[in-house]
Amino acid sequence: MSKTILIIDDSASVRQVVNITLKSAGYEVIQAEDGKDALSKLNGQKIHLIISDVNMPNMDGITFVKEAKKLPAYKFTPIIMLTTESQEGKKQEGQAAGAKAWIVKPFQPAQLLGAVSKLILP
Amino acid sequence: MSFDKEMQEALVTFTVESAELLESMESGLMELENIENPEETINAIFRAAHTIKGSSGLFGLDHIVRFTHVVESLLDALRDGKLVVSSDLIAALLPCCDHLNSLIEDVANGNVKENPEVTESGNQLLQVLRPYLETPAAADTNVVEFQEKIESVETIAGNNIESGNWHLFLKFNENCLRDGMDPLAFIRYLTTLGEIVDVTTFSYTMPDAETMDPETSYLAFKVILKSDADKETIEGVFEFVRDGSYINILPLENRIPYYAELIMSLNEDSDQLGALLLKCGIITQRELEDGLKSQQVRADAQQPTLRLGEILVEQQVVQQPLVNAALEKQTQIKDNKARENQSIRVDAERLDKLIDLIGELVISGAGVNLRAPLSGDDILQELTGEVMRLIEEVRDSALQLRMVPIGTTFSRFQRVVRDVSKELGKDIELIISGSDTEVDKAVVEKISDPLMHLVRNSMDHGIENAELRQQRGKPARGTLRLNAYHISGSIVIEVSDDGGGLNRDRILEKAIERGMVSANANLSDQEVFALIFEPGFSTAQQVSNLSGRGVGMDVVKRNVTALRGSIEVTSQIGIGTTLRINLPLTLAIIDGFLVGVDQSTFVIPLDRVVECVELPVDVEHRDYMDLRSEVLPLIRLRPLFNISGVLPRRENVVVVDHGGNKTGFIVDHLLGEFQTVIKPLGKLFAHLQGVAGSTILGNGKVALILDVSTLIESIDRKNTALPRNLTHQST
Repeated sequence: MSKTILIIDDSASVRQVVNITLKSAGYEVIQAEDGKDALSKLNGQKIHLIISDVNMPNMDGITFVKEAKKLPAYKFTPIIMLTTESQEGKKQEGQAAGAKAWIVKPFQPAQLLGAVSKLILP
Repeated sequence: MSFDKEMQEALVTFTVESAELLESMESGLMELENIENPEETINAIFRAAHTIKGSSGLFGLDHIVRFTHVVESLLDALRDGKLVVSSDLIAALLPCCDHLNSLIEDVANGNVKENPEVTESGNQLLQVLRPYLETPAAADTNVVEFQEKIESVETIAGNNIESGNWHLFLKFNENCLRDGMDPLAFIRYLTTLGEIVDVTTFSYTMPDAETMDPETSYLAFKVILKSDADKETIEGVFEFVRDGSYINILPLENRIPYYAELIMSLNEDSDQLGALLLKCGIITQRELEDGLKSQQVRADAQQPTLRLGEILVEQQVVQQPLVNAALEKQTQIKDNKARENQSIRVDAERLDKLIDLIGELVISGAGVNLRAPLSGDDILQELTGEVMRLIEEVRDSALQLRMVPIGTTFSRFQRVVRDVSKELGKDIELIISGSDTEVDKAVVEKISDPLMHLVRNSMDHGIENAELRQQRGKPARGTLRLNAYHISGSIVIEVSDDGGGLNRDRILEKAIERGMVSANANLSDQEVFALIFEPGFSTAQQVSNLSGRGVGMDVVKRNVTALRGSIEVTSQIGIGTTLRINLPLTLAIIDGFLVGVDQSTFVIPLDRVVECVELPVDVEHRDYMDLRSEVLPLIRLRPLFNISGVLPRRENVVVVDHGGNKTGFIVDHLLGEFQTVIKPLGKLFAHLQGVAGSTILGNGKVALILDVSTLIESIDRKNTALPRNLTHQST
């Protein structure tokens, strides 16, 4: 059974590329366009990994991580944060919230795949 | 649908999305000045730029990333309130939107490659933004650094060093489960790099069931991995759990010879230990940085500095044998560099041959110099004078070739002092000065062993243990000094300590006990201290394995004497001892002072000659005279060398210096200075004391070179009336 990954990004093109990349490696992908949308997808279905952007309208990535960690079914789900190098402060805040894996944007699809497979193999 | 095709479609989504974002960015900028609370609008503008930058990176559109990065940084500053909205700022940003639009359009039209002309016009726009950014240079380098990072990752991958088996010890952060990190996931991922041969699980930190928290990670793992991946790659597996975890990756023991060989075969011109280990993939960039950081921390805390190798071993990121191999390589590289930079290697034999030839030249020159005045040809005499001057210069520079700084010999003692002080349980610091002092290579080679003995002796017997030192009100740490300097044609090497000093009474007592001096002898401090160099003398109460068996000091003296040198001791009880070795700068050619006794000629080394006086008539057969109200002991060369013949009307006295004391040699004639090429005496005469060698004079005759120190001492020791023959000592 293939593993399911939830990707959260407000940019459709980012979602599209990440989606293509992960699917081609054999993962199932669920997409959400911001934190609020993502929380609604955490409805009890099994999700093996979450990839989230930090800067998003409605609910940003950090708030989302804090919310997700409150849900018993998802508190142990590994989370990869996408960030830019100018957001060192955000990164510390996110790490405190429990998001330890960070990928610096812009990244190449292969880098993303490498990071994902360290946490969950397809 | 193929992957490429899908990506093409994603690219279309990107251009459409970006065009929309740019539009909202533009309208946002336009209304920015007119609204009361611009925060949300600024945020939206920032997010637009941010998204464009992030997405274009995904498609490898680096030129768009670079441009947007600057714009984004500025918007970030605006968002953080570091900048205020102004019409100038907006006027500067709007053209940037236009520029981005044209960049995106290019992409939409299928031109994903960078166009230098467009980039140039973009740079001009960015130039306008620069004044608003606090540290524009830093923002720029960020991008560059990022690109370099990717490159370095590629080189590592391309340069993959075939390595083999690894030993991993992993103790994950206690919180890793709560952070969503499954230890097993990482171990599982290792299988993508190679084959896991063995996993051992350790549960020694696991508490009792009542107190155990199921959400906490207690386990540690030892993994044997058979993989061709390099250390950097393996370490990269754990990048997300590194914080708070103990991750230790070492090559298996049986791989050490392979790595040692790899280090030695490196064609590297950096002589930094870290760089060598890094290049071989033995340590990773992060381990190196950690090591350097902790070295810095120690230095800042004024703790005794550790060398990088020691730190790395202490942190268990590398095994000792590999550090040793790298150190060896480091020395090799340094040596190579030193050689390339400043010197040519010359076979010592060739150099010796040159010195020999110059010796012959000096002798022949002396012959010519002797004959020239007899010809009555003024011009010939003038030319001869010129030739002699040149010969002297050639001689000096040829001898200079053999000169090496004594520093290399000295620096070896750093290690010796460290090791020996550890062995003795004393805290001793070595201070080296005068490392640049140059001396003949042959002297350097031969002085190393005697020096070693003196240093060990000072550390063992001289410097007291810390307790005693504190009782005596001295710093607990003992100081040993090595110093070298030139003084009138010779080199002086000093070994001094701040220890207890020599105990005059004990030395004297011992010497009397051993029958070395008579009980009622009246000896100066100098003379008493000199007894420690006598064979079979030792005052150490306990014999340690370093020194104190009574062999050594006499050997030191013998070695120094063999180099035509002398050794003396000054010591103050409770303050310290200084051993001073005085050596000739060279063993080949010296400036001599020529004296005659009847038909025979002798050479006294010029640097020992203090002055020459006429022998006062009233001395008669006494063996001392009054030299400006000082007693000057006299030695008559005539009976000493068993020379008969008629005494001249007036005899002369050559006053020589011997370890600070003056002695007079009574000779017939004073013949003046003479460049003396030292020819060693044959083996048959090796036991002769008082003669250092022979030389050939300009007229072809042989002259003996007097060894001032031993000559005086052998006569002192006889302590009788003047001997008729040279002292023959069976050794």
